[in-house]
Amino acid sequence: MSKTPKNTPEAKVYESAEELYHDAPCGYISFTNNGTIYNLNKTLLNWLGYSRDELIGHTKIQDLFKMGGKIFFETHFFPLIRIQGFANEINFEIKKKDKSSFPALINVKEIKGPTVNDNRYRASVYDITDRKKYEQELIKSKIKAEESSKAKAEFLATISHEIRTPLNAILGIGNLLAKTPLNAKQKEYSDILRLSSDSLLSLINNLLDLSKMEARQVELEKKSFSIRRLVDSLIHTFDVKCKEKEIQLLSELDDDIPSYITGDPIKLNQILTNLIGNAIKFTCHGHVKLIVDLNEIGKEKIKLDFKIEDTGIGIPKDKLQSIFKEFSQASYDVNLEYGGTGLGLSITQKLLQLHNSEIKVESEIDKGSVFSFQIEYDNYDFANPKANQIFDHIDSEVLDSAKVLVVEDNPVNIFVISEYLSDWKIDFDTAENGKEAINAVTKEKYDVLLMDLHMPIINGFEASSTIRNLDLEHQPAILALSATSRENIQAELQRAGIDDFISKPFGPDDLFKVLSHYIKTKHNLKDIKHISKSDNPKTASPSKDSGDSDQTFDLSRVIKMANNKPEFLRKFVKNTAISFEDYLADFQKAIQTKDPEKISDLIHKSTMSVYYIKSDNLVKLLRECQHILEDKNHKCSSLQAKVSEITSEFHNIIRDLKSVNIDELMSSQTTQ
Amino acid sequence: MAALSKEEILKRNNVSVQGSGSQPMIFAHGYGCDQNMWRYVYPAFLDKYKVILFDHVGAGNSDESYYKKDKYDSLQGYADDILEICAALELQNIILVGHSVSSMIAVLAANKEPSLFSNLIMVGPSPCYINKNGYKGGFEQEDIDELLVALDSNYLGWSSNMAPVIMGNPDRPELGEELTNSFCRTNPEIAKHFANVTFLSDNREDLKSLSIPALVIQCSEDVIAPQEVGQYVCNNTIDSKFKLINATGHCPNLSAPEETIDAIKTYLEEIS
Repeated sequence: MSKTPKNTPEAKVYESAEELYHDAPCGYISFTNNGTIYNLNKTLLNWLGYSRDELIGHTKIQDLFKMGGKIFFETHFFPLIRIQGFANEINFEIKKKDKSSFPALINVKEIKGPTVNDNRYRASVYDITDRKKYEQELIKSKIKAEESSKAKAEFLATISHEIRTPLNAILGIGNLLAKTPLNAKQKEYSDILRLSSDSLLSLINNLLDLSKMEARQVELEKKSFSIRRLVDSLIHTFDVKCKEKEIQLLSELDDDIPSYITGDPIKLNQILTNLIGNAIKFTCHGHVKLIVDLNEIGKEKIKLDFKIEDTGIGIPKDKLQSIFKEFSQASYDVNLEYGGTGLGLSITQKLLQLHNSEIKVESEIDKGSVFSFQIEYDNYDFANPKANQIFDHIDSEVLDSAKVLVVEDNPVNIFVISEYLSDWKIDFDTAENGKEAINAVTKEKYDVLLMDLHMPIINGFEASSTIRNLDLEHQPAILALSATSRENIQAELQRAGIDDFISKPFGPDDLFKVLSHYIKTKHNLKDIKHISKSDNPKTASPSKDSGDSDQTFDLSRVIKMANNKPEFLRKFVKNTAISFEDYLADFQKAIQTKDPEKISDLIHKSTMSVYYIKSDNLVKLLRECQHILEDKNHKCSSLQAKVSEITSEFHNIIRDLKSVNIDELMSSQTTQ
Repeated sequence: MAALSKEEILKRNNVSVQGSGSQPMIFAHGYGCDQNMWRYVYPAFLDKYKVILFDHVGAGNSDESYYKKDKYDSLQGYADDILEICAALELQNIILVGHSVSSMIAVLAANKEPSLFSNLIMVGPSPCYINKNGYKGGFEQEDIDELLVALDSNYLGWSSNMAPVIMGNPDRPELGEELTNSFCRTNPEIAKHFANVTFLSDNREDLKSLSIPALVIQCSEDVIAPQEVGQYVCNNTIDSKFKLINATGHCPNLSAPEETIDAIKTYLEEIS
C-alpha cells in the first residue's frame, strides 16, 4: 500500500499507522477495565495462533495467562496499573491456541476514561523466549556457584575441625615433652615441634574463622572487659618476638578510656593480634606501636580509635587494596621471605565489618605502615554480671582441696589433661564415658567436671543433664570440652546445665584459668552459704531440708558487687523481688500453654537474676519441668507436683527477698 | 519479646489516621499490594469516620525489620498486628474492612477480640483457596506453584535482580529514577512467603466462630474468589449479608471504586 514519490531524492517513504501497528516487531493489545480484549495487532495474533474474531469482544487478557499468571494479574499487575497509571516489563507466560506457551514481557499504559469503568489499557508484548533461556542458564549457574561456594566453606569448616582434634594432642604432648629432661638436640627438636604445631594451629584457626565468617555463623559477644589488661597481655605476648628481632614494641593508651567497656574482647584480641603480628613480621628495625585513643564517650556508647604503626618495609600503593583479599599478600616474594597464609588481614577486615567498622591503611615504601580503625563499644554497665569474672589470684589451698572428674574417651587427651592437673596438684579421677561419669558423681563429691561432649555410650550433653537431675548433695560445675565452636551449641549447653565451655585445642593456661575460676566460685559459694545459714537464717531460705542444693538463693555475689554500699544492695534486692514476681507470672503462662519452649525462654530470660542471687535450685526445677513438658507422654501428676514445687520455690524466693535485712547482712559480711 | 511501644507499632505498619468522624474504620489491604489499594475508596468515608490505613509488615512502606518468618507463618500473625494497632490507637467500636486475604485476617482479629469490633466488611473473601474434599476453593496446588514461578520471574528475575545494583550505582544517578514499578513493591522473599501463607491457609472453621455482623462484597467474575466461595463465607457466618456487585475481577476497590463505596455505605446505613 505504500507508494514512493518519484524524482525527489529525499523522498519520504509513506507508512500508514495501520501498517505500523499490525506489522510491528512486537505485539500490541488493548483491553477494557474488566480485561476484555478489544484490539490486537497481527504480530500478536500470529504468535498466538488465533484469528481476530476468536478473541475480540469475548476474551479477556487474563484468559491468555496460565492460572498462576491470572492470580498475579489480579493481585499485582492490575493494582499496579490502576495505582501507577502504567506497569513496565512484567513477565507473563502466554498461552497460545495450540496450548503451548511463550514467555512475554508486557508494558501497559492506562488511558483514562470519564469514569473508571471507561478506562482503556494499551499494552505492548515482547516475546522473550531467547532471553528467558539465557536468563535461566545464568540463574542456574548463579545457584550452582553459590552452592559450590557454600559446600567449600562447609568442607573447610569440617576439615579444620577434624584437624584440630589430633593437633590438640600433638600440641599437648609437645608441651609435656619440653618439660622433661632433654639434651640440646632433643630440646631443639621439641622446640621445632612446638613451634610448627603452633603455627599449624593458628593457620587452622584462621581457616576455621574465615569459613565461619563466610557462612555468617559468627556473632559478636557482649561482655565487659578491661582494654588495658587486653593490651598489656598482647604486648606481653609479642614481647619475646620483638626482643628477638631487636625492635621496640610500644603501646599508648588514652588515660580517659574507662577501665571497663562492654563488647567482644576475643574478636578485638584477634584483630589486634593479626595487625601487631603483621607489623612485627614486616619490621626489621625501629618500632611497632599500638595506640588507642578515646574518640567519643557518651552515656551508652564509647568510640575508640585504634592505630598500629610500624617502621617496616611498607606496602606498594597498587597493592593497598589486594592485601585484604584471601590468600593474597603484597607479592609472591613476600610470602617466600616472610611466610604466612595471607588470611590474617582478610579475617581482620571481616571481623571489623562485624563491628560495622572498616580498616584504613596508609603506607610508604621503606618508611612503614599505619593501620587504623574505629570501634564503638557499649559503655560499661555496672549491672553487667560478667564484670566480676575477672580472675583474681587463686589460693593454692583452694586448688589443693578441690576434686575434679575428667570425663573423656580419648586416651591421649586424658593423658594430657591428667599431666596438667598433676602439675597443678589438683586431685582428680577419670571416667571414659558419660555412664561412668554419672556413676562417679553419685559416689564421690566433685567440685568440677571436665566433660568431653562427644563420647560413646552416653555423650556429654546427656550425661550433664542426667547429673543435673540427680539429687546430689553438691552439684559440681560442669565444663564442656569440645572442638565445636561455642556459637553452634550454646542452646544445647544451656539446656544440659553445662556451666562453661573450653574450646579444643586449649593450652594449659586456658584450662587453668577457667578451671580455677570455677573451683574458686564453688568454694566461695560454700563458705558464704555456711555463714548465712548460721548468722542470718532469714536470708537463706527456711527450706525443709538443709542440704546445699535446697538453698533457694544466696546473696554472696551481690554483696561482693555492692562493695559496702547498702543503698545499692537494698535497691537491687527490691528490683530482683519484682523481677521474680514477673518470672512467676511467665511461668504460670507457660504452664497454661504447656509450652516447654516458654520455660526455656524463661530460664534464659532469668539468667542474670538467677546468676546474681544464685538461685540455682529454681533453675534446676524449671529445667526438670521443661523436660517433663517436652515428654509428650508425661504424667499429669508429675507435672502437677513439679509445678507446685516450683511455685512454692518462687514464693519462697520472693518472700525471702522481701524480708532480707540489708544492714545486718552488710555487717555480717564485713566482720568475717 | 518485649511489647512494642505505640510509636514502634505505628511505624512498623506505616499507619495513617485521617478523617473527622469518631467511629474508627480500618482498611486492610490484601495480598500483592499495600494501602494504596484503598486510594479511590477511603476518601468517601473521611467526613463521617476516623479512617485508619496501614501496610501489612513486608508490604508498602512497612518496616521490614519486624518481619519474622515464624510470626507471619500463619494469618494470625497479621491479625495480631491489627489488634496491636487498635490497642496503640485505643480504638473501640471498629468497622474493619478487609480486602482479599485481609478478610480472613479480619475474621481472625475479630475472633480474638470480638469486643473491639462493631462490623466486618469483607471484599472478595475466601476462607480456603485450594479445592479440598468436595469444597471448591477454585485452585489446585499446581496453580499456586505457578504463581510462585510468576513471582520469581517478576521479583527475582533478571531485571528486578539487577535493578537494585543499577539504582545503587552512584556514578549514574540517572538510572535510579523510575526504573522499576515503584508501587506495591514487596521484598521478594516476603512476597513468596505471604503467597504461600495466603493461598494455602484454610480458615473455614474460623468463620463459624465469628460473632460480629459482617458484609460480604462479591464481584461478578472473580477468578481468585469465585461467587460460590463468597456465598460459602456468607452461609457459614452467623450474622452476615451478601452483596453481589457488577464489577469484575478481584479488586473492585480499584476497578469499581464507586460501586464498592456504595455497597459499603448502603450496608452501614442499613445497620445503623
